[in-house]
This record gives sequence, C-alpha cells and structure tokens, in this order.
Amino acid sequence: MNASSSRVDPVALLAAPAILYMLVVFALPMSVLVIRSFSGSSGPTIEAYTSFLGDAFNWRVIGNTLRIAFFTSLVCLLIGYPTAVALARSKGAVQALLLVAIILPLSVGVVVKTFAWQIVLRRDGIVAAFLVATGVWDEPQLLLFTETGLVLGAANVFLPFMILPIYSVLKLINPNLQDAAATLGASPAQRFFRIALPLATPGLFSGTSIVFSLAASMYVIPSLLIGDRFQTLATLTGRAFLLMRDERLGSTTATVLLVLSILIVTVSAWAVRPKGGR
Amino acid sequence: MIPAFEKKHNVKVVFEGTRSLVNLEKLQKNKGQQYLSVVQMDDPVMILAVREGLLDPITAAKVPNSASLKPGLTHMDSMWVNYLQPWVGIAYNTDKMQPPTSWSDVYDAKYKSRVILPSLQNTEGVMNLFMASFLKTGKSMSEAQKDMDSAFAKMKDMKPNVLMSYTQEGQAYNLLEQGEAYMVCGAISTIALARKAAGAPIELAAPKEGTFSMPSGIALVKGGPMPELAAAYLDMLLSPEIQAKVSAATFALPTNATVPAPAGLASLTVHPVDWANVSENRAAWVARWDRELSL
Repeated sequence: MNASSSRVDPVALLAAPAILYMLVVFALPMSVLVIRSFSGSSGPTIEAYTSFLGDAFNWRVIGNTLRIAFFTSLVCLLIGYPTAVALARSKGAVQALLLVAIILPLSVGVVVKTFAWQIVLRRDGIVAAFLVATGVWDEPQLLLFTETGLVLGAANVFLPFMILPIYSVLKLINPNLQDAAATLGASPAQRFFRIALPLATPGLFSGTSIVFSLAASMYVIPSLLIGDRFQTLATLTGRAFLLMRDERLGSTTATVLLVLSILIVTVSAWAVRPKGGR
Repeated sequence: MIPAFEKKHNVKVVFEGTRSLVNLEKLQKNKGQQYLSVVQMDDPVMILAVREGLLDPITAAKVPNSASLKPGLTHMDSMWVNYLQPWVGIAYNTDKMQPPTSWSDVYDAKYKSRVILPSLQNTEGVMNLFMASFLKTGKSMSEAQKDMDSAFAKMKDMKPNVLMSYTQEGQAYNLLEQGEAYMVCGAISTIALARKAAGAPIELAAPKEGTFSMPSGIALVKGGPMPELAAAYLDMLLSPEIQAKVSAATFALPTNATVPAPAGLASLTVHPVDWANVSENRAAWVARWDRELSL
C-alpha cells in the first residue's frame, strides 16, 4: 500500500550522472586524501594533525585563510546584494545588459584579471592617482601584495557568484509585497528588515557560501596578488605537493581546509534557517 | 648543437625534454636496461643518481674537452659536469636607478617596497640566503652557506624593502619592467638578459662579491646503449666552438675555461654551491622563511 511513497521518484534519477561523476572525480580522490592524512608508518595515526595543529605558525595560516575568505565574502555581499536588487527590478534591454556585464567577466581568466589588477593597483596606477588627486592619500601607498589588495582582487573575481544566486531568489519575490506593506504603514526600514531581507535570505546564504568556499580555497589569486610571503591553507597544500613532495602534509592541510569550510557553511546554514512559526 | 652532431656522426639524436626528477625516475626504472645514453639534470638530482650508481664517470680519455673545464665544475669523481653556468645577479630597472654594485645595496632604505625576491621554492632564491649570511658574517662563501642563523638574521633587515616574493618569474619581470619594482634580487642571466635583449628597460648587475650559478648538469648513463656516441656528444657540447655559441645564445657563462667570458664578466667570481646541503635542508629553510620573513 505504501509502495508508492517508498519508491524513488524516477525524476531523481536525472541526478544520477552528476552523482556518479562527483563520486568518481571528487569523493573518491578526496577519500584517498583523507585516508592518507591519517596513515603512519605503523598503522592509522592522528600524528599529522597533532603536529600540524601544534605549530603556532599553522594557526596563523588558518587565520589568514578564514580572514581573507570572510572579508572577500563581506565585500561581495555589500556590493552584490544591491546589484542583485537592481538586476531583479530591471527589465528588457537594461536587464540583459546588466546580466552580460556580470557574466562576461567570468570568461576572462583569473591570471589575466590579476595581471590587470597589478596595473590598476600599482603605485603609479589609476587607483593611487585618484586617491592622491582627491586628497585621500598624501602620497601613493602600497596596495599590491597587501591583504587589502588580495581581498579586493578576489572579490572582483568572485562577485558574479554572489550576485547570481541572490538575483535568482529575488526575482521570485512578488514585488507587490513591498507596496502592500507600505499601504499597511510599514516604514522603509521595517519593510527592508521584516520583508525584503528575510525573503532574500536563501539567496544571500547560497551566494555567501559559494564565495566563502571559493575564497577559502583559492590558490592562483593569492600566489599572484600577494605572493609567497602570505600562506593560506590552499597555498600550503599546493606547496606540500608540488615542492616538498610531502603528501601527508598536503593531505592534512587539504583535509583541515575541507572540514573548516563544511563546518562554517553548515553552522551558518543553521544560523539563518527559516524560523518556524506564524 | 644537435643538428651539427647528427650531421657529423650521421645519427639521429632522440631528445626527451623532461624535468630532472622525471629523468631520475626513468633511470631508476630502467636500471640494467637503460635506453638513455646521456642525461641532463639539476645538480642536486645528480647527487641522488650517483648514490644509486646510475652514472658512468666522465674521463678525459672518453671526453677530452672535459679537461678544459673551469675548476669546480666536475663533481663527485667526474660523475657529472656543468655544461653552462646561468649566473645569478641583481636585475634592475634602468629608468629608475643607478646600477647596484653590491648585494648589500638591496638593503638600502631608499628602496622601500621596491625589491622582489624569488621564493625559496625557486633555486635562485636559496642563493639570497647564502649571500645574506656572507654579508652578515664575512665568513668564506662555503662556510657562510652553512650559517643559516646569520642568513635569516640578515634577511630580516631586508623585510621593509621586499615588495613580494615570487614563485612565477614572469610576474616579477612584469613588475620590474613596469617600474613598480626597481630590483629583482636573485635574477637568472638566461631570463633577465633575454628580457633585456627583447627591449625591456632592465639590466643585470654582477655584484662585486661574486655570484652563484644555477644547476646545469650533464652525465653519461651507466649501461646506456651508445656509450661512444654519448661521450662524443658531451665532448662536442664542451668544445670551445659550441660553448661559445651556446653561452652567447642563452646568456649563460661558458664552462670551458678556454672560451672567453662575455664582455664585462671576466672578473666575475662564481662561488660553488653545496647542493647536498641545499637538498638536505631546503624544507627546513622554507619553514623558517614562512615563520620569520612572511608578512
């Protein structure tokens, strides 16, 4: 009798190719990596983790990774949310133009972008010239190879991944809700915090999770925008495999990064979960 | 070089352009049935190959021109030789500054945030440590290479001047040529002088303390299929004519003592690097660099 409810919806099978693909190219190698990080000369051990976490420098690296990912997400959120609102409200040619402006930069490689940033951000570049001309700076300051430069560059690359998820949620919201609330006497602030923001939360959350994960694991952008003197978990992983040929260290740093990202994304998903009730 | 050799001996040279560690793997896997006769690898990798008995000594009987090599370029009982010396100097932007004359110029406060260093992942980066130790202690260059405490102490003084440290040299030369950086400290002649020849406003200075050269080893494979031709190949590569041509084309120093050095470099001292020391300690140096010299 319950056969129909226990049977798998055949539509779910459409996800099978993707699941199979991810199993082979992601889950499998990732498990090998995790297992390797726990393997010692005489059986399983957590020695790699105790020695990694017992080193104060590695905590600095973890701090670097999370701080950069946090500020990159914040910048993307502050710029991306208003953009997504404008995009959802716009129509016709304007909307098409906005979408192209957001998506087209994705087709420019990260390496090209970071080289462009180098030209813009250098001490005789246009940003410095503008800030000196407007009196914000007395003399050109260093922007390249600083954390600020890294965050600005990373936010530039990842911005579309913030805007698009927010936009896809916003365009489903009935625009009349705002007017209805206004008719009922809600102030602009009330309308924003009680209606617009809660309804946009799923989009804000997925955008932020995507950008945070991308920024926490980026490798090419920090190596080009801040260089070898600033290590993150991802650059440390790359170096362990490519230079030191220390597979256990690389597996350990990769696992630490994976666990941290999952932890942060799940905890924030729980924090912004739809509040039940009336 | 290869076409000339093929013509002279009426043979075909099969060239496999792989990295040092890959070459070592090929030799290890085919021990007893080698298919390669000659191998080029970085000096630190050569040490490993010698330890595993994969190489044949290069004697003056087999390779007459090896007798004309400069001193110090024949290693571990003639198991391998250096066929070129890409030397390391200070590349600087000629529009922005006067030529540096000493490795200590890089420490001058007027170059705040204008100096680019190679990372320690890059072999030319390791040489900065040796030079820092030498500047700090005044010890002999071979002793200075072992005194890393002094090296790191000295390098800390350079921190305010360091704009960035690169792993990809292309970016470093970009910044140098744009004038955002004034110097790349630890620049390889084969790269810097090729950029200059292409019209970039840069020059490579050979500081008065002398310099080091990048690894460039060539060796005979033990049990290789063509031992006579292999020896003839090495002999030709080390011959004065080929040395003059190849060193001019690659902006490296010749290793045959009878070939004159490029103009202005006759008095440049090239200090030997203790590669065994580098291989053994590099990981520890990288770890220390992270902790003491990072942002």
